[in-house]
Amino acid sequence: MTSGALIFQSVILGLLLGGLYALLASGLTLYFGIMRVVMIAHSAFLILAAYLAWWSQTRLGVDPLLSLVVTVPLFFAAGVLLQRGLLSRLRPATLTMMSVLLTFAIAVIIEGLLGYAFTGTQRRIQLGYGTANLELLGARIAVVKLIAFGLAVAALLTLYLLLKRTTFGWALRATIQHPDAARLVGIDTNRVAGYGFGIGLATAAVGGTALALDTTIYPSLHWHWIGPLMAIIVVGGLGSVPGAAAAAMVLGLTQSLLQIPLNTTWAQTIFYLALFATLAFRPQGFFGGRLAQRF
Amino acid sequence: MSTRLTKMRWATAFGATVALALAGCSGGGEGSTSGDDPIVVGISLPLTGDFSEPGKGVQRGYQAWAKIVNDKGGLLGRQVELKILDDQSNADRVVSDYEQLIGQDQVDIVVGPFSTRLVVPAARVAEEYGMLFVEPAGAAKEVFEQGFKNLFYAAPAVANDHYNHLAEYILALPAGQRPTTAAYAAMDDPFAQGTAYGLKEKLEAGGVRTVVDEVYPPNTTEFSGIAAKIASSKADLVVGGSQYQDGVNLIVALQQLAYQPKLAAFSTAPTSPEFAAAIGNKTEGILAPTGYTQKAPYPSNVEFVEKYTAQFGTPPEEDEANAYTTGQVVAAAITAVGCAEQGECQQKLVDWVRGNTVETVVGPLSWDATGKPKGAHMIQQWVGGEIQIVLPADAKETDIVYPKPAW
Amino acid sequence: MPSASDPATTSAARRPAVTPARAARGVLLLLVVVAALSFPSLAPNPYVLSAGILVLNYALLSTSWNFVGGFTGYISLGHGALAGLGAYGTGLLVTKAGLPSFLALLVAALVVAALAVPIGYAALRVRGASFVIVSIALVLVLLLVFQSWASFTGGSRGLTVPRPFPDLLRPEHHRVFWFLFAGLLALALLVWWLIDRSRFGLGLKAIREDEDKAESLGIPTFAYKLVVFVVSAGFTAAAGGLYALWFGDLDPVFQFSILTGSYLVLMALLGGVRSLFGPLLGALVVGTALEYFKVEYGSTPLHLVATGLLLAVVVLFMPDGVLPAVAAGIDRFRPAQQSIREVTAAELREQRAGGAAAETELAGARPGGAPATKEGA
Repeated sequence: MTSGALIFQSVILGLLLGGLYALLASGLTLYFGIMRVVMIAHSAFLILAAYLAWWSQTRLGVDPLLSLVVTVPLFFAAGVLLQRGLLSRLRPATLTMMSVLLTFAIAVIIEGLLGYAFTGTQRRIQLGYGTANLELLGARIAVVKLIAFGLAVAALLTLYLLLKRTTFGWALRATIQHPDAARLVGIDTNRVAGYGFGIGLATAAVGGTALALDTTIYPSLHWHWIGPLMAIIVVGGLGSVPGAAAAAMVLGLTQSLLQIPLNTTWAQTIFYLALFATLAFRPQGFFGGRLAQRF
Repeated sequence: MSTRLTKMRWATAFGATVALALAGCSGGGEGSTSGDDPIVVGISLPLTGDFSEPGKGVQRGYQAWAKIVNDKGGLLGRQVELKILDDQSNADRVVSDYEQLIGQDQVDIVVGPFSTRLVVPAARVAEEYGMLFVEPAGAAKEVFEQGFKNLFYAAPAVANDHYNHLAEYILALPAGQRPTTAAYAAMDDPFAQGTAYGLKEKLEAGGVRTVVDEVYPPNTTEFSGIAAKIASSKADLVVGGSQYQDGVNLIVALQQLAYQPKLAAFSTAPTSPEFAAAIGNKTEGILAPTGYTQKAPYPSNVEFVEKYTAQFGTPPEEDEANAYTTGQVVAAAITAVGCAEQGECQQKLVDWVRGNTVETVVGPLSWDATGKPKGAHMIQQWVGGEIQIVLPADAKETDIVYPKPAW
Repeated sequence: MPSASDPATTSAARRPAVTPARAARGVLLLLVVVAALSFPSLAPNPYVLSAGILVLNYALLSTSWNFVGGFTGYISLGHGALAGLGAYGTGLLVTKAGLPSFLALLVAALVVAALAVPIGYAALRVRGASFVIVSIALVLVLLLVFQSWASFTGGSRGLTVPRPFPDLLRPEHHRVFWFLFAGLLALALLVWWLIDRSRFGLGLKAIREDEDKAESLGIPTFAYKLVVFVVSAGFTAAAGGLYALWFGDLDPVFQFSILTGSYLVLMALLGGVRSLFGPLLGALVVGTALEYFKVEYGSTPLHLVATGLLLAVVVLFMPDGVLPAVAAGIDRFRPAQQSIREVTAAELREQRAGGAAAETELAGARPGGAPATKEGA
């Protein structure tokens, strides 16, 4: 019954989706690595960036991709401020729990303000090339989805190079692996942690723009994203960026393929099944580091 | 910890809370039933959230009704005043909104909210307070299966009958031309799904095979998976049981996959003024049912279109017309019975509506015992960059285009 | 960080004699009971009564949440889902299995408590972060399941739960349910109080203060956490079930909402998670404020902003609760702190008399202070 063409089409859609998941989850796992913080507001910032892209397109007539010039630095600064101004003030003993509540509060505030500014109406960017598509071996690929995927890949690659090839990346990885030792060798871990948060939030800016290109947005949409993203970082191994990226691609692809026999909502439950299974049988995650074991 | 301190702490906190509770509750409280007071009409509408687009349309319809009535001197010599609350498209809110309107604000009349999902809980509140409940949007058949005695739907037909004319047309096509396969995608919403499934039932009975049948929850934003299934099924016709944004998203996703059906029908979305721009003007041949046309010759409609356009700058759409119709039904009952307040009056109003036919902007309306209207919807199609009535034959503005041109 | 109430409770437990702290508690309890019993007749209209029931429902949920949050320090954002399960369980047992309403409620609560065992197993084996993630994921996955499984749950069209007392008019219906909610709340408070005084409670509190030390002292931490999670889930589900019978219309989006869970956390934190009446008090404040916000600013989502700001302020500045923080603030301005043991018998009598006077004064003042009482309206 199921045709090969449909499976191939779904694989392509799944890969395109997985790329976006990978970018977004990498930010989330970065925060966890740096501070053991589950940053609930990550996806709220994502939607905020999407709204900024939408706003600049409809109200200013600027291509949404150009809004990145503003949102990326803005979100980086917001991330640094968030870490230095708020999260680092929490008591270390209850940091994990309280940071969840604090970032939850931030998410709700963003949602409320977005609703206040733009109402709860669903919004969608209308692009001239919105329905343009390419053909690849019988499958159709929407140009906007390809652009979104390209953005995600470019951002991930930048992140990878930043972490592996720069002094800052070296300091950041040291901070993640062993903060005390990092301090001993002269790394200003507070500062590094702040910048790390900034980079995490900058990924949300890129992801939000990519998201806005092809889907409808509304203020409470972030709840639909935070669940899959949390599942991805747990399955990937909390704190591991490559693990998160791998888990994102696998789960994105699985979700897309499951949509063939199941409907869209049931297909989404794969994230939570994977999450519960991981915690019950392999709490340290499938792709990632040793960090997760104690959390 | 000292005793007095503990005690004081609790007492203060408790006192503060009680004070807060009472302060929060003593607001409002207008509305009485004496002669010259305005007739306060209480409405809860989804001004934010999932249904905010149609919700605002309904709001404009009610506002137009109040203005037109008041410009003519009101009802029973009393001005009409609307009290509108926002239910955020939320069933929990809609109940407490009507509870507040009836119990606390003591409104004289309540009329319905938007969307079937919200009508049922709202109607139950009205029913249990014994209020007449005329509503502009509870079109699904479930609404009329709840045993409500005070509910009336102010539109020509229920959701499942919206596509009746289209079903007749398709099944009357000669065998060679008739579509053989159909794909359905509907929002899990009694109204939207009702429209699509009403057509599905009739086409299946007529031998059109269903190849895709997808239901998605409200708030779905990602349609590429559903679209991929529909496109790969190569169904001859695609039917979308949609509200607004989901319909737009599904059409865009289908177009991204270069799917070209012979016939595409979507409820609600294509009749919206923003529709063409939202899908990049690739509208050619899309069909939609409608219960209302601005060109209808009924006298009250001519007045409605003229005054509405003067008030809001654009002509009214279906949501606005449904709300206006609701107002007309209520006004007819109030004028005939001669009262508008809570209490015994409400039962008289209910009895009057049940037993009479009301002339409205969508034609004469009458109801069966469950409050279901007796009628069918017209079918519109995008032809030449404009949405026009194509079915039934005696009301058509242009001929139906089948198979539809590529979009 | 000993809590405000713990020393008083433990010393009271050790001494059989009636201490002033105990007397004050008695007075307070009496006040709460009087307030609860008289509210339905004081409420000026059915809307206020229904708003009151919502607040009471929050108080019940928040108290149920506090079994986990207060004793173990594990913060669950997923209790909204447990309440939703209780509500749907009750509704489905009534509509599909034809059970009598209140039997369905009991069965649903027990089933959810049983379900809490595997959930707790996945959530509590690991510390902190994973627990929070599981609790949020629980809400989201149940939302998906209840939306998708439309043939069983009614999907997005919702589920209509038949009224347990079909003959009652709406105001009467509210009145009956007010007392049902109050009764269940009293039961939850009683159980919390009993655990608080038990060895089991002591073990749980040890987990809250330092889980590693508790473990090394031989406390079976995992089993303890799991048991208290199950108790909490049972009460939460019962609250949800009662809500289903009262409200009548269930919609997955509102039954499985993270926001509900966060309100419970906010209420408990605000009132103080370590005290018996903390969540109740928090619910009175937050629940009333929420209803007020919706009435005054209903058309804007500003209540979200207010909730978020309040939560952020509490977390940043008063993680032990606002009321304990306020009390500590007041404490600073008082002369030297008295210990309970220094109170003489004479002083004790005096304080007890004073307490009783205050009680009658307050009890007398309340009905008069309420606006426009409509008996039986």
